Amino acid sequence: MPPALQATGITKRFPGVLANDRVDFTLAQGEIHALLGENGAGKSTLMNILYGLYQPDSGQISVNGQPVKIVSPHDAIARGIGMVHQHFMLVPPLTVTENIMLGQESLVDATQVLGRLAMLDRRAAANRIRELSRQYGLAVDPDATVGDLTVGAQQRVEIIKALYRSAEILILDEPTAVLTPQEADELFVIMRGMVQQGKSIVFITHKLREVFAVADTISVMRAGAMVGSVQPAQATRELLAEMMVGRKVILAVDKSDAHPGAAVLQTDALRVLDDRKHVAVDGVSLTVRSGEILGVAGVQGNGQTELAEALTGLRQVTGGTITLNGHDTTHATPRQLVEGGLGHVPEDRHKHGLVLSFPIRDNIALCTYYRPPNSHGVALDYPTIERQAAELVRVFDVRTPSIHTTAGSLSGGNQQKVIMARELSRLADQDGVAGRAPLLIASQPTRGLDVGSIEFIHGRIVEARDRGAAVLLISAELDEIMSLSDRIAVMYKGAILATVDAKTATREQLGLLMAGVTPAVAQPGHKEGGRG
Amino acid sequence: MANSDKTATPGNRAPRSSGQGRAFSGKRIADLLGMPLLALATAFVLGAVVIFLTSGRLETVGEAYWGLLRGAFLKERGFSESLVAAIPYIFLSLGLALGFKTGLFNIGVEGQFYMGAIAAAWAGQAIQGLPTLIHLPLVLLIGAAGGAIWAGIPGYLKAKTGAHEVISTMMMNYVAFRLTEFLISGPLRAQSGSSTIQTPRISPGAELWALWDIPNRLADPLNALAVGLGLGFLAWMIARASRRKTKDEGPKNVDGNSSFVIRHSSILIAIVVAALAFIALPPLTRLWWPFTDQYDRLHLGLVLAVLAAVGVWWLLWKTTIGFELRTVGANPNAARYAGMSITRNVVLGMALSGALAGLAGTVEVVGVSICRCLPLFFSSGYGFDSIAIALLGRNNPFGILASSFLFGAMRNGADLMELSSGVSKYIISLIQALVLLFVAAPAVVRWLYRIKGGARADEAPLTRGWGG
Repeated sequence: MPPALQATGITKRFPGVLANDRVDFTLAQGEIHALLGENGAGKSTLMNILYGLYQPDSGQISVNGQPVKIVSPHDAIARGIGMVHQHFMLVPPLTVTENIMLGQESLVDATQVLGRLAMLDRRAAANRIRELSRQYGLAVDPDATVGDLTVGAQQRVEIIKALYRSAEILILDEPTAVLTPQEADELFVIMRGMVQQGKSIVFITHKLREVFAVADTISVMRAGAMVGSVQPAQATRELLAEMMVGRKVILAVDKSDAHPGAAVLQTDALRVLDDRKHVAVDGVSLTVRSGEILGVAGVQGNGQTELAEALTGLRQVTGGTITLNGHDTTHATPRQLVEGGLGHVPEDRHKHGLVLSFPIRDNIALCTYYRPPNSHGVALDYPTIERQAAELVRVFDVRTPSIHTTAGSLSGGNQQKVIMARELSRLADQDGVAGRAPLLIASQPTRGLDVGSIEFIHGRIVEARDRGAAVLLISAELDEIMSLSDRIAVMYKGAILATVDAKTATREQLGLLMAGVTPAVAQPGHKEGGRG
Repeated sequence: MANSDKTATPGNRAPRSSGQGRAFSGKRIADLLGMPLLALATAFVLGAVVIFLTSGRLETVGEAYWGLLRGAFLKERGFSESLVAAIPYIFLSLGLALGFKTGLFNIGVEGQFYMGAIAAAWAGQAIQGLPTLIHLPLVLLIGAAGGAIWAGIPGYLKAKTGAHEVISTMMMNYVAFRLTEFLISGPLRAQSGSSTIQTPRISPGAELWALWDIPNRLADPLNALAVGLGLGFLAWMIARASRRKTKDEGPKNVDGNSSFVIRHSSILIAIVVAALAFIALPPLTRLWWPFTDQYDRLHLGLVLAVLAAVGVWWLLWKTTIGFELRTVGANPNAARYAGMSITRNVVLGMALSGALAGLAGTVEVVGVSICRCLPLFFSSGYGFDSIAIALLGRNNPFGILASSFLFGAMRNGADLMELSSGVSKYIISLIQALVLLFVAAPAVVRWLYRIKGGARADEAPLTRGWGG
């Protein structure tokens, strides 16, 4: 049987970057093929070429043995290739049926007569959706409004959308990034089912654990080239990580036991509203002590964003109190908190963390521009700022041509290093100031970063802890929470369900808590969660 | 860590250097100038096409542009009249650029221009007999305040209620037009026999001197003192700036044990310059002075405009105030994260923008108007042209000096163009509109000349739209 999809010698060049360098890729019929690689390795470029979003500079593509030229997504869909993007392409106010029909409207038969006034045949479409949903175990209500669905359900809508368009080959771009471990496991079951019914799946990810859970074949890309393909049985995590990065990687975070000191941050019955004035943080009480890392685990959208914003002065607190080093900071401004010893690595580095159009130099000085030695009176002291920026760029290994390069032209990993450099260097200035232990709040500090940068940033966070900082780590990556934290608080629907010791916590236990199942109700874990 | 790391993800292949290799390479300058120049050239070519199509004669194109050139530069006082027209343009488009940098589209500079003019016209005549040294700075300050308050109101409304400044400043324009009309024809109307409706003539001490008039003005020792103090202050600023530069390059002996003269060198230089100017300038200008034409309207406002450009540049790029304004303009979320007050900076940005617009009106009243007053039918239109000028100058104070001069020249040359070729002078508005179009939509120019490279990151926040 010819392979479902074959690409040979694909080369794609963008200005200044060779995104794909003679890449060969073969997807056999009925397999789940994991495509692994760091950000910027060229996975997305390759898939976008296969989906017709980009045209390759050279190379051939064949579908089911037939050489083809895919010039648009429309073309790809016509050849049975469907793609589920990492960021869903759904219209929230429309129903599931309407979303799925979009662009593929099935019309009532009167079409011919009434021309453009034809009625949409929602009922036929909804029936078809129910059928697909039964066939592949994708539980979705066709009449539900997409905006009301959970992220996991929206993802199922995306998959049905592809199946509705008769896709035989499915490309799933980082599908587990938004799921709880349990939801991810459900997705894997669905993927298995689809493969058994003859579909072929490309599964893009950077999480090593998942590859072993579901893939039949694993291909690894690095720096635009295909490094190689292996079977899961012959691979180990260490081998795959080395293939991805090009050198040996220390997967476990090297960290000694915590020596917690006095409480630095305390919240009591904190209540915060989200943008739509709904309660997002509902009575959160937590304590972070000097010299420890408290991890906040949880599926995205359970109030972590609002919690971090409230703690850093960016969002109004509507109830409860926040205490920083003994001072009430419930209604403190960001400036007061910076002065009080807060370092904040924000969740969205483009929205809050950086001014992308500014040079690195100005981004390094973003929070301290107003005080000596960076300025005297109103006059900025650029020589001093530049000396400091150059030093931090060196110490934090920011790969940039110069400190005058705009932050927007850096890769994600280097952007995050700029933020880390700024925040941690400010905290380091406070070392030894009595009664003002620094607090680091890091939200999703490694989101979207490559393995090398993650390793570096994790190292720095642990280092800050060891120097006596209190660290609040908020992350949707359970692996990150488990390997960095000393204690883990699980957040669900705005509340902390439980706080557990990181040494004894299991993936299973945390996953259940993340899904809102409290220990009293939950069945004891029947198997040990695979942490490695 | 990984210095043996050879994984070339896009960001990390460039070699690292610390600080050198700074911006102003030839390529960067070409990059900065290229787009505006291409926009300009394209607009003139299209203008030529329109002239040809409407006149039907190819020669008319040549006659029109030759007339424009003669009117703007070659005819008697052409060049200096172009400069006179450029002065309000400079202030206004500096105001717009400052707004743009703060993320604000202050479309109401025209109204602020009027409010500055009426405030200055009032302050100039309200007190008589004050020396220039006191009265002129006072009038400039009050004129700037007029514009600042008029722009500060929409700024406050935006910061507090989210009212978009494009709408509110545009509405404030109409209020300003009618309010100045009312004031000129009512409370502030000159009572003298003149039949024209205008404000009273301002006191001579509030006038901004024409260049030819300087030797006569310097005959008054108080005026000589004013000039001396002004030049002394300038010298002090320059000395301080250059001293800081040398200090950075080599940390020589600038600490405690250096001599009194070195430590206070800037202030000493300033005193020497001021004294020299006070003593020597009056007799020297009597002996020789390049500006002798009494009908030449070029005035000291030109110097003020250039100083304003330097001042805006310094404020925006060398001070914490400008750092905050630019951060709020480029990314308000990051500004909040960094502890800056959005409210304060939006109000401040609007007020400073309006102050510059108000100065433009002030300078027109105290430096240009023949009656040294504000007449009722005082048509300007400067404010709207300035949007194009600021964009053509890429919101850079020095770019604005150049583009203001260009627009001043076009405004000034248009009359002779119409006279000598019969082509309507409104063709100039068409060309200016095309310039604005091409500068605002650089993609069109790129496509036209097949220039590669998409929109760059620093190009984006030129104007943030309605959502902003």
